Formats: sequence, C-alpha cells, structure tokens
Amino acid sequence: MENLAVLVVDDEPGMRLGVARALGGYTFTLTELGIEVGFKVDMAESGEQALEKIATARPDILLLDHKLPAMSGLDVMEQLGAADDMLTVMVTAYASLETAVAAIKKGAYDFLAKPFTPNELKNAVRKAAENLIMTRQARQLAAEKRQIRFRFISVLAHELKAPLGAIEGYLHILRNKSAGDDPAVYDHMLERCLVRSQHMRKMVMDLLDLTRIESGQKKRELVELDVRDLARTAMETAAPEALGQAVAISLHADAPVPMIADRGEIEIIFNNLLSNAVKYNRKGGRVDLTLRTEGDSCLVEVADTGIGMTEEEAARIFNEFVRVKNQMTRNILGSGLGLSIVKKLVLLYSGDITVASRPGEGTTFTLRLRRVPHAAAQAAGELQSHGP
Amino acid sequence: MATVLLVDDDVDLVEMNRAVLEHRGHTVLAAYSAAEARQVLASAKPDIAVLDVMMESVTAGFDLARDIHESHPHMPMVVLSGVHEAMGVPFRFQPDEAWLPVLKFLDKPVAPGTLAEEVEAVLRLIKE
Repeated sequence: MENLAVLVVDDEPGMRLGVARALGGYTFTLTELGIEVGFKVDMAESGEQALEKIATARPDILLLDHKLPAMSGLDVMEQLGAADDMLTVMVTAYASLETAVAAIKKGAYDFLAKPFTPNELKNAVRKAAENLIMTRQARQLAAEKRQIRFRFISVLAHELKAPLGAIEGYLHILRNKSAGDDPAVYDHMLERCLVRSQHMRKMVMDLLDLTRIESGQKKRELVELDVRDLARTAMETAAPEALGQAVAISLHADAPVPMIADRGEIEIIFNNLLSNAVKYNRKGGRVDLTLRTEGDSCLVEVADTGIGMTEEEAARIFNEFVRVKNQMTRNILGSGLGLSIVKKLVLLYSGDITVASRPGEGTTFTLRLRRVPHAAAQAAGELQSHGP
Repeated sequence: MATVLLVDDDVDLVEMNRAVLEHRGHTVLAAYSAAEARQVLASAKPDIAVLDVMMESVTAGFDLARDIHESHPHMPMVVLSGVHEAMGVPFRFQPDEAWLPVLKFLDKPVAPGTLAEEVEAVLRLIKE
C-alpha cells in the first residue's frame, strides 16, 4: 500500500472537510505496477499556512484553491517555483479558464472546476497519483540503470588495466635492460607483450559486440540458413588454436538444420563456444559439436573433454567479466565477456543455454534456439536500447 | 641476497618481477593465489613477501597478510595492489600493526625495477 500525502488548501472549512472525507477512505489499484494507493490528507486554510506546511513536510499532491483571502493560489505556485516531486491540482471556480491556463503555465499538473462531486475529486487525484508514481518509478529505473552502467565501466577499466600493466612492466625491463644479458629472456618478454595486447584487442572487440547487441545498433539480417554451414565455418576459425592444443573438433549433424537467423549472430555464438571448448580443454582432448532440429527449436550441443568446473563456478560464468580462476586456468586468457555475449544472443532467439560440467572431465553447453524467431523477440532485438 | 615470495594472480606480473629480482641475485618463490601462498609458506621461509590484494576475493591479500603475520611474525611484507583505484576507496590503506601488518603499500603499476629497489630497501631497513 502506497500512501500519498495530499495537502488541501482552501479557506472554506466545509470544503476542506469535504475533501478530507472524500479522500480519507479512498484507495485504488495501480494495475500497471500492481500496487494499492491510498491517501492521507492534511489541510491548510491559507496560502501562507500552506507554504509553511510544504516547507516542513512536502506533500505528494497539492490541492490548491485559487481564490484564497491573502495570497492567491497562483501566488503560492509562484513562491513554490519548480516543485520537483509534487503535483499541484489547481481548484478554480467556474468560468475562470484564464486562471486555469495561468496555473498550468506555472507548473500545475491539472485543474478541477468548483463545484465538484466527490467522484470528480477522486478522479482528479487518482490521475495525479498515477502520474506521480509512474514518474517516480521511471526515475528510479533510470537511476538503477546509471548505477549498473557505472559498475560495468569500473570493472571494464580494471580488466583493461591488467594487460596494460603487464605490457608496461615488460617495456620498462626492455628499455632498462634490467633482466641481464640473455637475449632469449627479452624475446620471451616481447612475445608476452604481444599475447597480452592481442588479448586486450579481443576484449575490446567483444565489448563492441556486446554493446552493439545491447544497443540494437547491429542491424539484424534474418535469412534462411543451414546452421551446419555456420558450424563448419566456426570450426575452421577454431582450427589453428585446436591444432596448437592437439584438440580434435568433430561435427555431428545428420540432416540439414534450417533456421531463420542472423548469420553474424550465430557465428559469434559458435566462435565463442568453440574457442572456449578448445581453450579450456586438455592437450589431445576432443570437442563434439552436435546439431539437430527438435520441433520448433534448433538444438546445439558443444561438449569438451576439458578441465571442467565446479557447480559454483558454472553458476557464475554467464555474468560479465566473470572468469573461472584457478591453477588450471592461470595461463588461459579471456575477456570474461564471451559467454555473456552468447547468452544475450540466445535470448534474441527466444532460446536458452544451459551448462553441465564436472571438474577434470569436461563441460557441455546446450543451446535451444527458436528456428523461426517470434515477431516479439525480433522487435526486441531491433529496439533494445538498455545496454550498458 | 634474499628469498622473495611473489604473490599475484597475473602470471606476467610475477614473471617480470621474478626476472628483475633474479638478475639482482635474489631467489624468487611464486604463488598465484593466496591459497598457493599459504602452501608455499608451509615449507619455505622467504625473507620477504610481496602481495597482490585482489585475487580469489577482493581482499584475499589483506587476509593473507594477517595470516602470515600470525604464522611468520617477523617476515616483512609489501602490498602491491591496484585496489585503491579499482574499488574507488576514498581513503588510502595504511600499513597498520593489527589490521594491515605490512611495511609498505605500493599502488600498481610499479615498474619491476622500482619494486626490486623497494624490496631491497625494506630488507636493509630490517637488518638495521
């Protein structure tokens, strides 16, 4: 129950009491948010008294009579200036349209013509209450979004500083020759600088992918395709890294897997999953990529024979910048963004992604993507603008 | 010449500092997490430890420093961390006998040569 404070400003005691009585037990449900709204009423008999009360405790809604003995309702509004979080409903007598217009100009939210029935009063107050609560809700959401964005950028900066720090440190040594005379030592340092800068580049690229997906700026081109073709391309992309690790990648797909999708998006999904399956594998391990059609869905399974992870680790990996850190992963570089990108893309296909893993045995990612995207999901993909 | 324990979850930071310290004649022990550092310390007795802070948790290095202070009360420690900036701490962590029992707190980035000099300065101070 949300209780809004209403301040009734009127010099006629009967009017003040009438309003208080009408609003006293009045409640309504704000269906959009599913909250019940009620009112607690306070009264003032002059503009001066109203200003005093507002100064100590700001009401949510001000029901302000225009025709007051000393200062008028308009004068009160003038004094209040831009009242941020308070809505004013101006109460005016018949035939004073000009006053109403002037009040609106001064920032009044609405006006109510005298005399009014209890129902007219309730409707006017309800309208103001709805507006007020919805505005507050929107403001709060915007603040939360800013907070999330700020946190994201802080973490991002930290993640980018790590490779930069490594490169700078090595450069200092290279410049000052402070690690002895063996050229092999310096060659190794240069090599590490390259590895770390490539990693940093990958992180920047992933970040661009992520923001493009989230901002909807990446134009989606939904075409009919056979998912097997994209899987094969991704396998070729992963081949050099797989060769280096002596990891064999095999594709299991007996029949075509037709789907209406954006080529680039499906490629990003495969590239990230295969790259992980190779990186976190053991030397001489396997990656099995299985594709098949299941009713409305395209089923993708990427199973590796790698280092695996604990349940606790598996629960966190779809979050941004989360990387599993342990002795096994110490030398594996990653942006910490790949899986959160995959997850975001999977959602664009009204799908889901799950992970099953055992430490030391391997990890299997299972994705279910809708073969023909929902109109709604498609629109969401185009309109999304809530990214960090 | 001293034995230096380097604790950092970034492999390259350990490697670069190892290269410079070893070139200056020191022996380096490496640990890539606070847990590994505890293992190393169970059998080895370095002359000084250089600790990162944000490893398994954002304060893993602080906890480690307090543990080492307990188990090896005379081992000097230097903290090398980016924690101030990363966490947006509005004050500076200061070495403190009870809470942060280390001799120095250095903010990353510190060039490997500079770290080596800092480590040697602390060791000289201890000798005196």
